[in-house]
Amino acid sequence: MGSGEVRYSSLAAGIFGDILDAVIVDVASEAHRAARLGFDRRLNTEEEEELRLSAQARAIVGESVANGDTSSKYTIDVFGQLHPAVASEIFECMNCGRPIVAGRFAPHLEKCMGKGRKARIRANANINLSQQRKVRSSPLPSYFPGGPTHTSVSSRTPPTQTSSLTPEDTQKSGLDPNDGTSEESHDDDDKVVIATSMCTSLCTLNLKYYRFPCD
Amino acid sequence: MRASINRPPTPDVDEEKRDEPTLQDIINIKLIESGEKENLKELLRERLIECGWRDELKAQCRALMRKRGRSNTTVDELVRNITPKGRAMVPDDIKAELLQRIQSFLMSVAL
Repeated sequence: MGSGEVRYSSLAAGIFGDILDAVIVDVASEAHRAARLGFDRRLNTEEEEELRLSAQARAIVGESVANGDTSSKYTIDVFGQLHPAVASEIFECMNCGRPIVAGRFAPHLEKCMGKGRKARIRANANINLSQQRKVRSSPLPSYFPGGPTHTSVSSRTPPTQTSSLTPEDTQKSGLDPNDGTSEESHDDDDKVVIATSMCTSLCTLNLKYYRFPCD
Repeated sequence: MRASINRPPTPDVDEEKRDEPTLQDIINIKLIESGEKENLKELLRERLIECGWRDELKAQCRALMRKRGRSNTTVDELVRNITPKGRAMVPDDIKAELLQRIQSFLMSVAL
């Protein structure tokens, strides 16, 4: 057993050496390639300068931490740049197209995309409208002030009442599309329902920024 | 057709002159065939990256290339130069781990 183990260990050492050589060659060829192709940013700066730079960066960060500056509005990063606590850049929301301050983007998206109550109501109204649109054989008139049904019906149903009726209305309109055969007889009912849900949507939203999927 | 008559002698003649495959060779072949060599290489690579050995060695390569000029150094030169350093820099615990795995493989191969 003893001699066998000795034999093994020298063999094992030899094999280990092989594997290690292969790994070393890998490292060498990668470093060589990086230098030759100009990838390697560290080729020129190196050693003492790099140590100095990293020590410098650490010092800057350490300073601000030691002085209790971390509570201040500005955070310092390793390059010595200052960043305000709330981002101030303005850009366009990709959902609604409004210009938004970056720091306020998350709460805006909540409302815009659908976690909030209003967004959910809007989404439900949208779904019901599109369901009815699919069930109906004839195309509906355009939604914006052009359609005759819209103007005639809206006078009958004042905005204050519709908001309270919304849950029932949307439920009714949700049931109707399933009943495909009795389309014609329910035509008037549908129009009322559509108009009321449209009123609700228009009341709860800012008209300027609302977009239909059919656009 | 003529060309085939003039071709070099078939390997039969050569093979007899060569030595018997050494124990090392047999084991090497077994290692490679079973895929264990790859596994061991990957394990070693991973451990060496973790402990920073690779970065140190790369820094050595860079220093060498800076000295000799970027376009002048060949991979061979690099390898020849860093191999002894690389071998010496391997931490003992990693070496022990790998050796143990190799030995258990050897025993499982039932020599």
